[in-house]
Amino acid sequence: MTTTESPASLLPPKSSRHVPGQPDMWVFVLFESLVFTSYFCVYLYARTQHEAAFLRSQAHLLLWLGVLDTVVLLTSSWAVARCVQHARAGRYGLARRDAWVTAGLGFVFLVLKIVEWARLIHFGHTFTSTQFFQYYFFLTAIHFVHLLIGFVVIGVLILQLKDPRRRRQETVETCATYWHTVDFFWVLIFALLYVVR
Amino acid sequence: MSTFNKRLFAVWLILVGITASYLWIDHSAGQRGVPTASTVITVGAICFALIKVRIIMREFMEVRGAPQLLCRLTDFWVVLMGVAMLGVYFAGKAVA
Repeated sequence: MTTTESPASLLPPKSSRHVPGQPDMWVFVLFESLVFTSYFCVYLYARTQHEAAFLRSQAHLLLWLGVLDTVVLLTSSWAVARCVQHARAGRYGLARRDAWVTAGLGFVFLVLKIVEWARLIHFGHTFTSTQFFQYYFFLTAIHFVHLLIGFVVIGVLILQLKDPRRRRQETVETCATYWHTVDFFWVLIFALLYVVR
Repeated sequence: MSTFNKRLFAVWLILVGITASYLWIDHSAGQRGVPTASTVITVGAICFALIKVRIIMREFMEVRGAPQLLCRLTDFWVVLMGVAMLGVYFAGKAVA
């Protein structure tokens, strides 16, 4: 019995390099990345044209809350990455545990986002109040929808891991790829809405 | 048998570290709590975010163990997103 597993042993061997998950999911990831990039470009352009107004509105966001959102999603991504490696090694119990951790952290993010929206609306910052908040609510809402779809995806993952007849590593990887995509979209949204000046 | 993957943990730590560094950027950029416009911070924030995206793709999404085509394609995509966002940002600054 080995005492430790090198990271390399948890990846497929080089001789059998393969696309993680279904290639169709990667087409979706690349396509969605372009769609989101176009949103980001429109936002950045608008920002440069009304810099002072955007900064004034941006000051109402809590940066630490955005950092917390990001850390929660990054941790969920770490969990689903571990889930994939456990499933590959045949440790389905641990894989299922990590899939539940992923869903739990996704739920925490969801609650944090709702609390943040409620706080902003309470202080009078709505979709129609300023151009910045129009972009803020649009980008965070479209990401929210992707996150909700992510719960369905993680649900499929948990069901697959539960039933030995249904277990397929390709499906596990496909589900994880989707979740990571939701994570990295948020990484970009966070930088653009909360950090850029 | 150890099931703890140190590499994934290190990747997570780096990603969280970069994210936390935004708090310091924000602290040093504001003047009396009011944020001020800064091209350096904007470009830095976008570049750091793209670095994080690449790390997520390579390590969490296991692109580093994927065929070269996917490795190159995802790298190209990150560059494409960066060029598009920074290009539009600087074009906007030029016409503002």
